[in-house]
Amino acid sequence: MRSGPVRWAQVAAGLVRVSLSAAMQYRADFVMDAVTGVVRAVAAVVPLVLLFDHRDTVAGWTEGEVTLVVGLFFLMQGLLSVLVEPNLGEIVEAIRTGSLDFVLLKPADAQLLVSLRRVDPGPVWTLLAALGLVAWSVARMPPPSPADVAAAAVLLLAGMAAMYGLWLMAICASFWFVRVDNLRFLLWAVTDAGRWPLDVFARWVQVGLLVVVPVGLLTTFPAMALRGTWTGGTVAFGVGVGLAFLAVSRAAWRAALASYTSASS
Amino acid sequence: MRGHLRRALPDLARVSFAGIVAYRAEMVIWILSTLLPLVMLALWSAVAREGPVAGYDEAGFVRYFAITLVVRQLTSVWLVWALNEDIRTGRLSIWLLKPMHPLVQHAIDMVVAIPLRALVLVPIVGTLLLLRPDLWRTPSPAEVALFAVATAVAWLLNFLVQALFATLSFWIDKSDALFGVWFAAWSLLSGYLVPLSLFPPGVRPVLAALPFRGMLGLPVEILGGFLPLREAVVQVGVQAAWLVALLGAVRWVWAVGVRRYGAFGA
Repeated sequence: MRSGPVRWAQVAAGLVRVSLSAAMQYRADFVMDAVTGVVRAVAAVVPLVLLFDHRDTVAGWTEGEVTLVVGLFFLMQGLLSVLVEPNLGEIVEAIRTGSLDFVLLKPADAQLLVSLRRVDPGPVWTLLAALGLVAWSVARMPPPSPADVAAAAVLLLAGMAAMYGLWLMAICASFWFVRVDNLRFLLWAVTDAGRWPLDVFARWVQVGLLVVVPVGLLTTFPAMALRGTWTGGTVAFGVGVGLAFLAVSRAAWRAALASYTSASS
Repeated sequence: MRGHLRRALPDLARVSFAGIVAYRAEMVIWILSTLLPLVMLALWSAVAREGPVAGYDEAGFVRYFAITLVVRQLTSVWLVWALNEDIRTGRLSIWLLKPMHPLVQHAIDMVVAIPLRALVLVPIVGTLLLLRPDLWRTPSPAEVALFAVATAVAWLLNFLVQALFATLSFWIDKSDALFGVWFAAWSLLSGYLVPLSLFPPGVRPVLAALPFRGMLGLPVEILGGFLPLREAVVQVGVQAAWLVALLGAVRWVWAVGVRRYGAFGA
């Protein structure tokens, strides 16, 4: 049997296709999610509009730069809820009932299978609203250089990798503690802090939002890149944290599988 | 209240409370996941560090969002999910057989959770007070009394709005998604994300007439001393008017909806 990146990509594409068609059966939900996505984006931006009626900058950030961070925040929430979040609920259930056995029997990497078991297209609207917000914000800032854009893209990927690692570790926790589905509400709540530039928080909170719950990596850092306040060190740090989260979560996944005893046998 | 319900109430409350205690870890996580006011606090106090905004200085914002955190916890209900589940799975049938309204059972479940919520708040508010002692403001007895009334009515408003959305489950499958839209609007218009006095003057009378303010912002403004007492009394009147309107709406929609109920699984 073939293995390697090509095979991985084929498996991933197949999984996405199947779960998209499953979700499209619920068309009314899809429309509802669209409305929710737009209303939420508006509700997030209006306080900032009110704020910048009174101020030109907050902690050194202009209006366009802060809305950029908010846009990146929604981008992160959207990506997490399309790709990552549906699977966390699913895997917790699979561990409890023992149906994870069937996943482990399949001839593909189990981490890939559980990570893309389900894709929820509903929040696609959140993603579109987020991209709109990002574009609108960047248009109101001095135009970034190609190097700025490249750094932002790298940091975005690194941040996504780190958040994926965090979520995978939450999945791993459910191998030992069966009822962790509430953990994901807590994770969501903590990521809420990523919606503002890190500079508004106390120093220790900033550190926590970069290396413990690395949401700042995904929101503030790419925004710093686009506004041109970054160095090579910023990118190196971001990539380092992203890789570290991937490595640790992979190790946690291996350890979790090793201790899995199945509920049915 | 009917006699039999009054007699059963202590036992019902005891059973509900035992349920809350059994799932205490879950409950604490739920409580911790509504700490958004602390995130808003960080933003607004960073703003106010350079000077007050619309009458709020740094300590004012900290006080506002600390009280918001408390009121949010005290008035939090999860009826829309609980009832939606009951209707979707057919479990509502059991509740309909009992000699009391299913909403009463849910109300008891949610009221008995309040002490645990208050307990979790103590260390959080205590830490805030240690970090920022200047957030403290001693309220007058009249303010405390009015705060208690406004908070109780706010709880009822939250309960009834969720009852209204949940009752829609008799017609549509995903009433909780519809509630998501309401919640997004609520978070902006109730004072959860930003004190309502920061809105432009032309918008404020509209916000004062809508039900959102009475669901959160009003008790916060009263206890924090952000609202003159006379104005607060008028606003509690607005709250009461919405309470009456919602009670009528819920009674009517429930009566119509429960006739459509197909009792899935029966």
